[in-house]
Amino acid sequence: MFKFNKIYKEYDTPILGPLSLDIKKNSFVSILGSSGAGKSTLLRLASGLIKPTSGSVEYFNNRKPNIGFVFQDPTLLPWRSVIDNVLLPTELTFKNKKVSKEKAYFWLSKVGLEGKENYLPNQLSGGQKMRVSIARAMVQDCSLLLMDEPFAALDEVSRNKLEDDLLDIWKKNKLTVLFVTHSVTEAVYLAERVLVMSSSPGKILDDVFITEKKLRDDGQQSNEFFSKINYLTNILKKESNE
Amino acid sequence: MIKRYLSFLAPIISFLLLLFVWEMTVNFQSIPKYILPAPTDIFTSLLLNYSDLLRSTFITFRITFFAFTIASLLAIFIAILFSQSKIIELSLYPIAVIFQVTPVVAIAPLILIWVGLDNAEYAILILAVIVAFFPVLANANLGIRSVERNLCELFSLYEANRFQRLFKLQLPYALPFILTGMKTSIGLALIGSVVAEFVAGSGTSTGLAWRIIEAGNRLDVPKLFAALILLVLLGIILFLIMSLLEKTLLKRWDIDKS
Repeated sequence: MFKFNKIYKEYDTPILGPLSLDIKKNSFVSILGSSGAGKSTLLRLASGLIKPTSGSVEYFNNRKPNIGFVFQDPTLLPWRSVIDNVLLPTELTFKNKKVSKEKAYFWLSKVGLEGKENYLPNQLSGGQKMRVSIARAMVQDCSLLLMDEPFAALDEVSRNKLEDDLLDIWKKNKLTVLFVTHSVTEAVYLAERVLVMSSSPGKILDDVFITEKKLRDDGQQSNEFFSKINYLTNILKKESNE
Repeated sequence: MIKRYLSFLAPIISFLLLLFVWEMTVNFQSIPKYILPAPTDIFTSLLLNYSDLLRSTFITFRITFFAFTIASLLAIFIAILFSQSKIIELSLYPIAVIFQVTPVVAIAPLILIWVGLDNAEYAILILAVIVAFFPVLANANLGIRSVERNLCELFSLYEANRFQRLFKLQLPYALPFILTGMKTSIGLALIGSVVAEFVAGSGTSTGLAWRIIEAGNRLDVPKLFAALILLVLLGIILFLIMSLLEKTLLKRWDIDKS
């Protein structure tokens, strides 16, 4: 999908890198790390919102994919209704209105907000706002979805539900997802690959592929799932002690 | 429920009580009308001079309204210019501050000379605009600059152009700030038009300030009070209209701006 090629970013001090990374198409990658590890900077570099100080981001076939970005806050425009918020990216890129509207309705129903199209953001719960934000990211048929701690502010029930819905969207839509989180459990539950980052400046400390079955036949989490969590937690603990 | 009625009734009752004490004091102490007229004298004067006073109220309202409108539009336009170019902001903002800190009475004679003594109403209008302009500019500028970083990045991600950014993000985002500025500005426009009329007014512009000067010169204090009451009422009405406009326009906004 894309590559970070010896990427390095600094403002007044070094923030990230140098690091090289290859993100495969249709993969779900979680990024773990303490605060200040440059996780959000990594997402912003991937999206092209900021440029690296040195190194480069190389997209597959040298073509920047359609990118959807979900921030930690829902970042909805309070004066716009739910449907108008979802339509925003299509308006900004001058897409066909009729087709865009159909897509917006489709994605709103996908994220469970059917019938709430004309609500205002202040009439929605935190979880529902985040769902609008996901629908907005998806409305442009994005192939790369960047998520910066999107469920951090939600309660556990909403969070679990949204995680399952996100997995469902990922599986059905041939998406590549880069998901920043502080939660080890969330990272292991969602991703096929977990990148652990060290801080000051941010570098890849470990690159863990999760190939084992996460759930047993009875729907409970498997032993392998817990052993991966323990393994990643220990790396993070070690990193914070150093 | 009782609390709700109380909050409404309490100021009315205390106001009526004040009027009663005032009336009694003036009557029992035999205070002359040219020092302190009784509320009934003021009311009588209001009825006797209602035609003159209403015409003057309308003139003051007209100047205030135009000054407020011109100041608001000009301030929003300049705030937009500031948002588009840091150089323009750095160049013009100090000039705006100079206008803000210079007392309007100090520049009134100059403005009057420039527009001509026959056009005193224009001079008053210009002075009122100067007084009302800055709060809208400062608030609009702040609002446009306060747009959340994530929202700016969202617009950058979809490569929004300058106009899309301005009209779909910055201006709507700044609306609560602009309206706060306008609420302050409408009161200042009224104060500005009255003060300007005091210093630059002449027989050609007979707003409420002129009536106050005229009544003061003739020691017609009941009429002076009547003009003053109309001025206060005008200020309250303008503020209420602005508050209503703010409430209507911000219906969609969350209190914490979501």
